[in-house]
Amino acid sequence: MLLQFLANGLVTGTVYSIVALGFALIYNTTKILHIAHGAVYVFSCYIFFTLYRILHLPLIFSLPLGIISGALLGIIMEILVYRPLFEKNASSGVAIVSSIGIYIFIVNLIALLFGNETKILSPGIEKTYEFAGVILTRIQIFEALAFIIVFALYIILLKLTNFGKAVRALADNPTLLSTLGVEISDLKIWIFALGSVFAGISSCLVALDVGMDPNVGMPALLVSAVAMIVGGVGVFESAVIGGFTIGIVQNLAVWQISARWQEGITFIILILFLLLRPQGLLGKRTRVEEK
Amino acid sequence: MDNRKAILKILNLTKSLEGLKVVDSVSIDIARGRITGLIGPNGAGKTTLFNLISGLLRPDKGEIWFEDKRIDTLPSWQIARAGIGRLFQDIRIFRKLSVLENILLADPNHPGELPLNLFFNYRNIARIEQKHLESAEYWIEFVGLEGKKDSPAGSLSFGQQKLLAIARLLAGGHKFLLLDEPTAGVNPAMIKSLLNLIQRIVKGGKTVLFIEHNMNVVLKIADWVYFLDEGRVTSFGRPEEVLGDTEVRKAYLGV
Amino acid sequence: MNYLFHILIMLCIYGILALSLNLLIGYSGLLSLAHAAFYGIGAYASTLLMVKLGLNFFPALILGIFISGSLALLIAYPSLRLKGDYFVLASLGFQLIVFSILYNWIGLTRGPYGIPGIPRPTIFGFEFNSITSYFILSAGIFSLVFVFIRHLCQSPFGRALKSLREDEIAARVMGKNVPLLKVWTFIIAGGLAAISGALYAGYVTYIDPTSFTLDESIFIITIVLVGGSGNLKGPLAGVLFMIILPEALRFIGLPDTIAPNVRQMIYGLLLILLMRYRPQGLAGEYRLE
Repeated sequence: MLLQFLANGLVTGTVYSIVALGFALIYNTTKILHIAHGAVYVFSCYIFFTLYRILHLPLIFSLPLGIISGALLGIIMEILVYRPLFEKNASSGVAIVSSIGIYIFIVNLIALLFGNETKILSPGIEKTYEFAGVILTRIQIFEALAFIIVFALYIILLKLTNFGKAVRALADNPTLLSTLGVEISDLKIWIFALGSVFAGISSCLVALDVGMDPNVGMPALLVSAVAMIVGGVGVFESAVIGGFTIGIVQNLAVWQISARWQEGITFIILILFLLLRPQGLLGKRTRVEEK
Repeated sequence: MDNRKAILKILNLTKSLEGLKVVDSVSIDIARGRITGLIGPNGAGKTTLFNLISGLLRPDKGEIWFEDKRIDTLPSWQIARAGIGRLFQDIRIFRKLSVLENILLADPNHPGELPLNLFFNYRNIARIEQKHLESAEYWIEFVGLEGKKDSPAGSLSFGQQKLLAIARLLAGGHKFLLLDEPTAGVNPAMIKSLLNLIQRIVKGGKTVLFIEHNMNVVLKIADWVYFLDEGRVTSFGRPEEVLGDTEVRKAYLGV
Repeated sequence: MNYLFHILIMLCIYGILALSLNLLIGYSGLLSLAHAAFYGIGAYASTLLMVKLGLNFFPALILGIFISGSLALLIAYPSLRLKGDYFVLASLGFQLIVFSILYNWIGLTRGPYGIPGIPRPTIFGFEFNSITSYFILSAGIFSLVFVFIRHLCQSPFGRALKSLREDEIAARVMGKNVPLLKVWTFIIAGGLAAISGALYAGYVTYIDPTSFTLDESIFIITIVLVGGSGNLKGPLAGVLFMIILPEALRFIGLPDTIAPNVRQMIYGLLLILLMRYRPQGLAGEYRLE
């Protein structure tokens, strides 16, 4: 039993990690607590649903288009909402509240168009596979594979490309970056696009597995935020550690306590980390606290 | 050194910021009832030293004693209540509050700032408020801001803001005052009365430690001078002595 | 007529919530996403004291204030150590933990089933069971709270809060005990939110956890930000606007099936536009840090 729950935890961890990578990418570079990441998450899977189930496009087209639509939405948010605030030198509280505003607007728009009920993408029983006594469904295996590919590509992108260098420089020293001749506002567009792609991948995978409703964005966002804190702010890859930690802890909680307390336990982890280890598991000691 | 006990003693104080030793094994005694000047080039660690004394920064090593109390481990508000007041270089008045409110905030230990007192000790609080109001009127008049009592502090001219900051500091009743460049940005006509004021309050029993770039001011009012360079005290003595020191002249004045 | 009184009662309940959250946002500069948690704690504490222990409304209300005020210490402590975004996250976590407890501790709260049959307040044998009398009760309590908060804001305590909102460094060096001031603000804001909770429970006579969600916290924040924070008229303007707006929407004949979503979309848009063009709200003094 323990193995099965650990395996479930790892699989949950993969989708948590993907959405959290996007959230952490945006936070580490722009310092915006991007609540609307949750809206991108919902938006992507609903576009996917529309293309796949309503317009009956094949999966190979509808899935990527769903993800790309999320990226476009992310870019629109940056250009229409965050950039003007940044230019006005607005405070972080202002950005958070704006982000909450975007989230509310989009989620309710989706609820208005599609209704509040749960939508299922792939009806029927999933094919399952057994490995050493651990049972996984086909979509779970798909999620794990997707994570491995996405994470590997992301690391390569960060470490080996000029874009990755610029992104890391933006996180560490934005003023230096602009003196190097990099146009920060262009870079941010790509960051929002990439971050939103992560949200889209995660949400479409989860939607294939368990379906969706307009309110799936908030839990995904909250998990991302907790994963980023647990992993460590300032280190791009660390959200994965956080994502897996939460995935495993939640599944162990289901096993040992009850599924009902999953959420509560997640946020107790958040508060414990904020108070006792604000730099997270991997993070550098940053100015999280006041003197 | 004057033949009196030091009011503030700094022992071997060291502080690094971002890998740089900004204050390096500084030991200083401040004579009670005197004016001591702190001079040195930009980046010598003068303001950092002030931040350490007022508890905004914690030293890496060393001790600070105020009267018979060790203060380098205390939070800022306790240091203020122990009797150390500070004039900031960048003034730091509360810009959206009125001139009067700024001065009413001067008391470092106002019992009315505890909600329980407001409800269970109201009469006492009202009495204290009344006293503060009267003293605030006095200080506002003292610095010549009578007409501006209810204006937001941010609407005053720079010189007036500085006066307000000084009035706010004096209304706090501290016995030891840290003045970070009190004459910077003040017009020459006013500098004179400002210096008179500082000398007057010291005669009244207070002690002043001030950072200053204007050497004429230092020569005029300081009893003692410490010269700080790259975080270290490199010279100490009477103002004429320190300013005559060739090392000091080289490091600071470039002559 | 009943409809009018219903709106007025809601104005009183949300008025207290907005004025109390304003102490945190507008006076201490703390963007707390946990206010619905204290609203809920107040509602559940007073309800359980009435239903399980048979207390009268008024003693239950007062105990509820103390319980909520004490629990506010749990969020006050993180606020001293965490700045900006991190405090927002901590308050979010607190909100969700409280909701999770209300929802899942079935032995105490009956969880999703809610608690029905909450008795109406009574005093000297008089029961506030008509909507008119309940309005009078709500208006009375609201007025008391308003006078209390005004007294507080004009006191040296309120002045000290304003000073640390403007310049915390200067306030500290001037002897302001910043941690203690913030802790007190939380205790008072949490305690006052509990009054709204008790009033709400006594009014609808049934509570369940879905009234005290993160969405509700965001709604209360929206009220304060739309109206503006940092003074007393800002939050009150916000309450008037935000409670009357949906009623106005109803009058223009928006179908009930889409009205809630449209309303929420308007709130979202309002937040975005306000932050961009008028961060101090309709009548506030303070801009978010």
